[in-house]
Amino acid sequence: MEWDWNFVWQIMPTLLEGLKITILATALGSVVAAVIGLVFAILRMTAPKPVARATSFIVEFIRGTPLLVQLYFIFYVLPDIGIRLPALTAGVIGLGLHYGTYAAEVYRAGIENVPRGQWEAAKATNLTGRQTWIHVILPQAIPPMIPALANYLIAMFKETPLLSAITVLELMNQAKSVANSSYRYIEPMTLVGVFFLIMSLISVVFLRWLEERYSRLEER
Amino acid sequence: MTIRKFLTMAAGVAALAASVSVMPAAADDSKLEELKAQGFARVAIANEPPFTAVAADGKVSGAAPDVAREVFKRLGVADIVASISEYGAMIPGLQAGRHDVITAGLFMKPERCAAVAYSEPILCDAEAFALKKGNPLGLKSYKDIADNPDAKIGAPGGGTEEKLALEAGVPRDRVIVVPDGQSGLKMLQDGRIDVYSLPVLSINDLVSKANDPGIEVVAPVEGAPVYCDGAAFKKGDEALRDAFDVELAKLKESGEFAKIIEPYGFSAKAAMSTTREKLCAAK
Repeated sequence: MEWDWNFVWQIMPTLLEGLKITILATALGSVVAAVIGLVFAILRMTAPKPVARATSFIVEFIRGTPLLVQLYFIFYVLPDIGIRLPALTAGVIGLGLHYGTYAAEVYRAGIENVPRGQWEAAKATNLTGRQTWIHVILPQAIPPMIPALANYLIAMFKETPLLSAITVLELMNQAKSVANSSYRYIEPMTLVGVFFLIMSLISVVFLRWLEERYSRLEER
Repeated sequence: MTIRKFLTMAAGVAALAASVSVMPAAADDSKLEELKAQGFARVAIANEPPFTAVAADGKVSGAAPDVAREVFKRLGVADIVASISEYGAMIPGLQAGRHDVITAGLFMKPERCAAVAYSEPILCDAEAFALKKGNPLGLKSYKDIADNPDAKIGAPGGGTEEKLALEAGVPRDRVIVVPDGQSGLKMLQDGRIDVYSLPVLSINDLVSKANDPGIEVVAPVEGAPVYCDGAAFKKGDEALRDAFDVELAKLKESGEFAKIIEPYGFSAKAAMSTTREKLCAAK
């Protein structure tokens, strides 16, 4: 089997289609994860005990089960109770929920890192709970979290091929379908690896930049 | 890790991939001797009854493996060991030496004939659709699906049906690759796809097991000819293929061939009335 450049150019448009979906799934998934994670973290830390307990349980449950199982559940089981999501939506929700629970832990660590005195000072200046969160706690808690969150973003990006199991036509699935009709794996799979590597490298540079920027912010 | 280190590593991986890719394809006439000494032949199957089936206890049955088992026994190879694979992965797997032969109802089509060495025909079947009761979109052929911008078809990845749908002009995003029969049926019931396409016998088997009055079958699909599969060998293993053909012909002649495949619903006559040459040339 020889490397065939003609074949590479021929399959490139198909694979780029897949790459688009992969990036879209990652982008939407990370937004969902960021929001859900924050909700989980705040519920766990401030809600009344039964709610906090229930949230803890849900988070542990999701963190303790494989993403692939969750995807199958969302895609194949939920329709039985009348919830039929398009494949990509199901995938984004799966990714978002799964990584949301990881993000929740990052948020928790970040929030707990804000010195106790800040809470007390907020109370002393008569700020409401909402004001305390938005103006005092979160602005201090979020910057140190960013590198950790960005790490999960890269991890999530590399997990998107799992979506091919629920028929999302992302990069991996497109490559498989190309291989299915051409009987060649070397070019499609190499290209998938290269695409992922390029995207990850860009993310690494971006992550470096974020780290530098926010560590400097902290020194100020 | 620095960027440069990263890139060096990437280059290393690429070099490794290149070196693996040029591994020589062992083409020899002693393949049969090798299998005899080994005591078994590795076959690729798909778990799509009645072509290929794996029971809950792991026992491999289905018409295609059963025929292969019998022929190999006569050739002096005691048994077959099956591994389940996606249709599209079978030919690459064969070329990569992961299995010795494909016995999975992989229908002969010219482009497949160009990639592998087929035996004489074994199992023949037409194509069918499973769809919602009453066929609400009125789909009778792959062309109908292409013409209806709302119709989505599910088919096994790399299977004949996927190719037929794409050839008929159904755009890629309306051809959903379904991992297995059960999920195909589920997706049809859930309304994710409008049609699930498989060979007639496979659809009938699936639908009768599902026992869902909301599903109906259109068979055969208009404009899709009857296809036949054969045992597919690697190019270069033609000697083994020829030996297989000799025993297969004897099996057909003695009537045992019919005894093996007819309980599964296949017609021995259909397979015996055509040849590899004809099927591989057919458009």
